[in-house]
Amino acid sequence: MEKLAIAMISDFFHPNVGGVENHIYMLSTELIRRGHKVIVITHAHKPDRVGIRWLLPSLKVYYIPFIPIASSATLPNFFTSLPYLRTILLREHIRLIHAHASLSSIGHEGILHSHLMGIRTVFTDHSLFGFEDAASILTNKLLVATLKNVDAVICVSHTGRENTVLRGQLFEKDQNDPTKLSVRRSVYVIPNALVAEQFKPRPPEPSEFITIVVISRLAYRKGIDLLVATAPRICAAFPNVRFVVGGDGPKLIDLLQMREKYFLQDRVELLGAIRHSDVLSVLSRGTIFMNTSLTESFGIAILEAACAGLYVVSTRVGGVPEILPQDMISFAEPDADDVYRAISEAITLVAAGKHDPMKAHERLKTFYDWRLVAARTEKVYTAVVQSPQMGLVERIQRTMDLGPCVGPIYTIILLVDCIFFLVLEWFYPREDLDYVEHHWDDGALTQLQSLSYSRES
Amino acid sequence: MKPDGGNWEKILWKNQGFEDNYIHPQFFLESLRKNPNFKPYTYSSLVLLTCAITQHISSIFIFLGIFFRLRAGVLHPRGILWFSMGAFCVGYVCWSLLSSRQSSNFRGRKITSEQHLKTLKSSILVFLALISLSPVLRTLTAATSSDSIWALSAVLFTLNVLLADYSVMPTNEHGQVRLSSVLSMNAAISGSVVLASRLSTDMAVFALAICSVVTFAFFPLLRRLIQGTCTSAWVALTLLLGASAVWVATYISDTFTYLCVSTLMVVTFVAPAMLMWAQKFKNEIRGPWDVAVPIVG
Repeated sequence: MEKLAIAMISDFFHPNVGGVENHIYMLSTELIRRGHKVIVITHAHKPDRVGIRWLLPSLKVYYIPFIPIASSATLPNFFTSLPYLRTILLREHIRLIHAHASLSSIGHEGILHSHLMGIRTVFTDHSLFGFEDAASILTNKLLVATLKNVDAVICVSHTGRENTVLRGQLFEKDQNDPTKLSVRRSVYVIPNALVAEQFKPRPPEPSEFITIVVISRLAYRKGIDLLVATAPRICAAFPNVRFVVGGDGPKLIDLLQMREKYFLQDRVELLGAIRHSDVLSVLSRGTIFMNTSLTESFGIAILEAACAGLYVVSTRVGGVPEILPQDMISFAEPDADDVYRAISEAITLVAAGKHDPMKAHERLKTFYDWRLVAARTEKVYTAVVQSPQMGLVERIQRTMDLGPCVGPIYTIILLVDCIFFLVLEWFYPREDLDYVEHHWDDGALTQLQSLSYSRES
Repeated sequence: MKPDGGNWEKILWKNQGFEDNYIHPQFFLESLRKNPNFKPYTYSSLVLLTCAITQHISSIFIFLGIFFRLRAGVLHPRGILWFSMGAFCVGYVCWSLLSSRQSSNFRGRKITSEQHLKTLKSSILVFLALISLSPVLRTLTAATSSDSIWALSAVLFTLNVLLADYSVMPTNEHGQVRLSSVLSMNAAISGSVVLASRLSTDMAVFALAICSVVTFAFFPLLRRLIQGTCTSAWVALTLLLGASAVWVATYISDTFTYLCVSTLMVVTFVAPAMLMWAQKFKNEIRGPWDVAVPIVG
């Protein structure tokens, strides 16, 4: 296919760490390997990360000087990012933007602005949301408005897609039968992946103990209450089992209290927050990985553990049942008794030596690969670029469909955005922009390298 | 690729040979459940529950009626004082009878004579404090115009109605009294103090203050107890309070009467019907993406 210039836009990126951040980085890297040009646009990070930075391998990152309000998300203000984004997208000759995460307002704004410059849009949703609480209702409303005019949506799991389709109301009239509503054709499922080489099982130290590893943020949503309820029972029933818990959060106090109450200081080890680079060394101390999340879109931590050769026990929530075959993971309902049952079975299975870490690692290698993810994403890009672009009138019509109240509001936002864009075009004409002429050239670098080698020799 | 999708599975780890935007017609959204805990209300039960609100609003109307009559000088303050104290005594007897019956059912805890003495002591204290404060209360807002007082008291009583706790259980899940019900009571007492400061004699101020304490502090406690124990008494109390509210209102003015009657009717009979009608728009979406509720212990 033709080589594209792509901009990834999200509030969540390096130097923060997390699932979305890693996804954007890995996807960008693989797309660059496939010959595309990729840049990342995010907000400034404290203390001094603002402006343009380069990440290996030749990934250019723009840190726009916006201040995040809470958990690294910026305030949704619709217009303020247009001057920055217009300049960046034009000077980099961007053809397509790819926004990530539904709580990233800078991504939503990118989708709102980019049609002004004839740029196509793709959106990836990484998380699951309910429909009940006020926060979900508000963000879902924002998402509906943004996704009304997006060219394609990618979700990370089948459950995630069902959720996004309902939240973003990605339905339109059926082509064959106009009275029926059907899901848009441009909603894709492309899972996350992991770098299997980074999670090679290490040969276990000979020990009479069976170690259960938990790595998670210690918060209510991660189901730490279930861990607190089951760990003492497990320790009482199996004298050769111990726990290693990595992570920090509000529920740490509950764990500490549980440990004191049942005198388990030598059986339950609490490591506190661990760096991503230390995850493997923590994982390789154990043979069973326990995940008690109450909601999970994809569960990359489970995959990392399975790849490191651990047997996984998880609650049956969200997209977790989709990510591994039945024989590498066992499920429990989010009920303390059932979690206890599943863990006991896993301990018996591991103690009997029926789980082979190396074999699990070799199998997992064949399941997930960032190269495949990039190839599948590339297909989405091709479909988007080849599809006809919506005109402004169609955009207004679709926005008005949002509802009798929200529709006019978003239409006004859309029109004001157009006027703002025209003002910018007049005030800061395209001829005066500082276009990027020189791109990263791997060939030139290797040439220089060989030249310097030949000089040395 | 494969058009039929007969062997499609909801998994991500295996490439099944379908396009990424393939949507299985049968499996897609199969675990979506709409209104799983839907329970249609019945009109009679709703009306019974709204009686708490009716009673509360009636007591406010009665209180306002007493205030207007006191201010006009038609009603003697002493009469109100005796009436309030009589109501307090009757209410206290009812309350101790009902709560001793309830607690003997549950925990076997009896109200002893010691506790009765304690109540008597604290009620005498409140009585003396109010009587010594009433000259201060009377001149409290002398520098403020009456219009501001009406507006302020209207706001405070509205706040009282909105924040009041109409449930049977006075406590939340942690066993503490809810903050909103405390705020509600404070708003009502402040509203009555502000109104009392418009009266001309110390005796009238004192009578109205005692009346407000009985109406807004003690009556809700008794109301909750009756709601929890006996349905017929509950209905009778509602009827009694509603009728006396209307009766008091007729002495004030026609507008006030219409306002009183229409408010009570709408709250008791129309509002439950509206809630039942609105229930058909209920659309609760549940699915595997919801945060699971952990069952512990």
